[in-house]
Amino acid sequence: MNAPASSVTSPASLPEERHESIWGKALYKFRRDRTGMIGFTVVMIYFIAALGVWLGIWGTHWSDVEGPKWSPMSSEFLFGTNIIGQDIFQRAIYSTKTAFEIGLVVALLSTMFGALMGSLAGFFSGTWIDEVILWIKGVLDSIPFYLFVAAVAFAMKDNPYAMHVAMVSTFWTTTGRLVRGEVIKLRSFEFVEAAKAIGVPQIVIIFRHILPNTFHILLVQATIVFVAAIKSEVILSFLGLGVQDGVSWGLMISESTLEVLAGFFNNFIWASVFLFGLVMAFNMFSDALQDALDPKKVAAE
Amino acid sequence: MEILQFALRKLIGGIPLILGVTFISFLLMVYFGPDQTFELLGKNPTADEIAEVRHQLGYDKSFVVRYGEFLKQLVTMDFGLSDSTGEPVSSMLGRTIPVSIALVTPGFILGNLLGVLLALVAAYHRSGWIDKAIMGFAVVGMSVSFLIVIIAFQILLSSSFGLNLFPVRGWNVNSVGDYVMYVTVPTLASVFVALGYNTRFYRAVLVEEMTRDHVRTARAFGISPMKLFYKHILKNALIPIITRVMFSIPLVVVSGSLLIESYFGIPGVGKITFDAITSGDQPVLKAVVSLTAILFVLTLLITDILYRAVDPRVSLK
Repeated sequence: MNAPASSVTSPASLPEERHESIWGKALYKFRRDRTGMIGFTVVMIYFIAALGVWLGIWGTHWSDVEGPKWSPMSSEFLFGTNIIGQDIFQRAIYSTKTAFEIGLVVALLSTMFGALMGSLAGFFSGTWIDEVILWIKGVLDSIPFYLFVAAVAFAMKDNPYAMHVAMVSTFWTTTGRLVRGEVIKLRSFEFVEAAKAIGVPQIVIIFRHILPNTFHILLVQATIVFVAAIKSEVILSFLGLGVQDGVSWGLMISESTLEVLAGFFNNFIWASVFLFGLVMAFNMFSDALQDALDPKKVAAE
Repeated sequence: MEILQFALRKLIGGIPLILGVTFISFLLMVYFGPDQTFELLGKNPTADEIAEVRHQLGYDKSFVVRYGEFLKQLVTMDFGLSDSTGEPVSSMLGRTIPVSIALVTPGFILGNLLGVLLALVAAYHRSGWIDKAIMGFAVVGMSVSFLIVIIAFQILLSSSFGLNLFPVRGWNVNSVGDYVMYVTVPTLASVFVALGYNTRFYRAVLVEEMTRDHVRTARAFGISPMKLFYKHILKNALIPIITRVMFSIPLVVVSGSLLIESYFGIPGVGKITFDAITSGDQPVLKAVVSLTAILFVLTLLITDILYRAVDPRVSLK
């Protein structure tokens, strides 16, 4: 835990013999976690699919009307077509990119913001800065989420990023709380006292010496937020507050609500399967990461 | 007496929270919210007419004045008539809140009870195959989207493609029989979705209590499993359980039902709030937002008193 900041931030470059650092141990533990490795592999497959869409290799015909409506699964339309004759396979693949875009943007920004607020609150705990941040957290947690998103969406005049803004501004609170607790613990460690004693400015202490030591919390939180963001997108898209242009699994499922009443389930089933696969894999990955990185869990088992 | 003093202190302490919630709601939903000017005007309005309507709606006043008026209406609980239907807001809430409560209560109770039960079984057989199976199902349950569950349950239980046992949508409740018919599918769906999260949370809490030293000692003294469980494990695990249950109440009542209400076309409080946000119906918004904030402060208060009730060491200072 007290390793210098530079080596903590780059776990990949750690030499093999340094098992005693949290990252070396975590990597060792994670590699032995079968469910975690399966989850990670599946997430990577999805990621490659998303990358391919992003580079324009596949999923390019997601918006073309290519066939008759509701054609069954065939070699031409792998998953059949939807209510207006678009290829469901193409749309499901393209949606992988949408999901990663939302998940990564929201996870990254809300984790960064949570880390910032949490470390400020923790470092200055007991002062007015801490009080104000706790108050903001309490207020944000007291506003029902979907109503908050709806309000943000309308306040931002249908900006396509309203959903992202709303998620980032509510999802950081848990990260903030966890980081705050960890920072309060770290604040009394000798290396912080030493840095204070030699006159390192407070801002440098927070960002150079304390924050890097909360990185294991941030990583786990980022994976949890990623899952939450993808799952929220589905419900928001159904409510008409989600993805504005493009297609997502949420939009596919909400357009399928008309189709299932007529007895055509392809759109619903495939969008659900894709969504479930990614969320499930990410949950497995996230759990394994938590087991590997949480020093308390190591002690308990 | 001590409890009364404590309650009063807590309520006063809750004022900043209420102010914060109302401020953010005002900023987002009213100040930057939908503009109703042109909905109230006829075709081709003149500049004077526009200014007149904007004056009526209060759009020409400064931010501070408008927020002050918003707060004044909150304090006096004078919410007036809904902009879009003309119905008194209080009667709208009186009509919708019972529906929402009736809709979410069975699912909420079942979801938590079953969660604790499954967690108990899993924790009792810790690391055995029963534990692994339950926790595996919990992860699966956590990974299925609520929307997918609702649609799938609707197809399976209330459409001609499945069992066709229950009404497809709506809320036409006149008797207990009707209530059971309309509430079953939404309840099953919400229990299914909540169960994964609840089981995992409660198992973690129970396992932590079970691995404490005093439990091991008690077991060594030969205390019966039932007594051990009830007196030494469950009682200690109550604090996190109460916290989780209590804090989900305000959110479940107001927005937990939003998706179910809009999918099944049930006229609950989540639905009218959502409609109010999208149409800029300020009187309804004010009422719901302020009631939610007050509900939160009351929840905080009751939770603290419950802590005291289950753990005498907690002081009400």
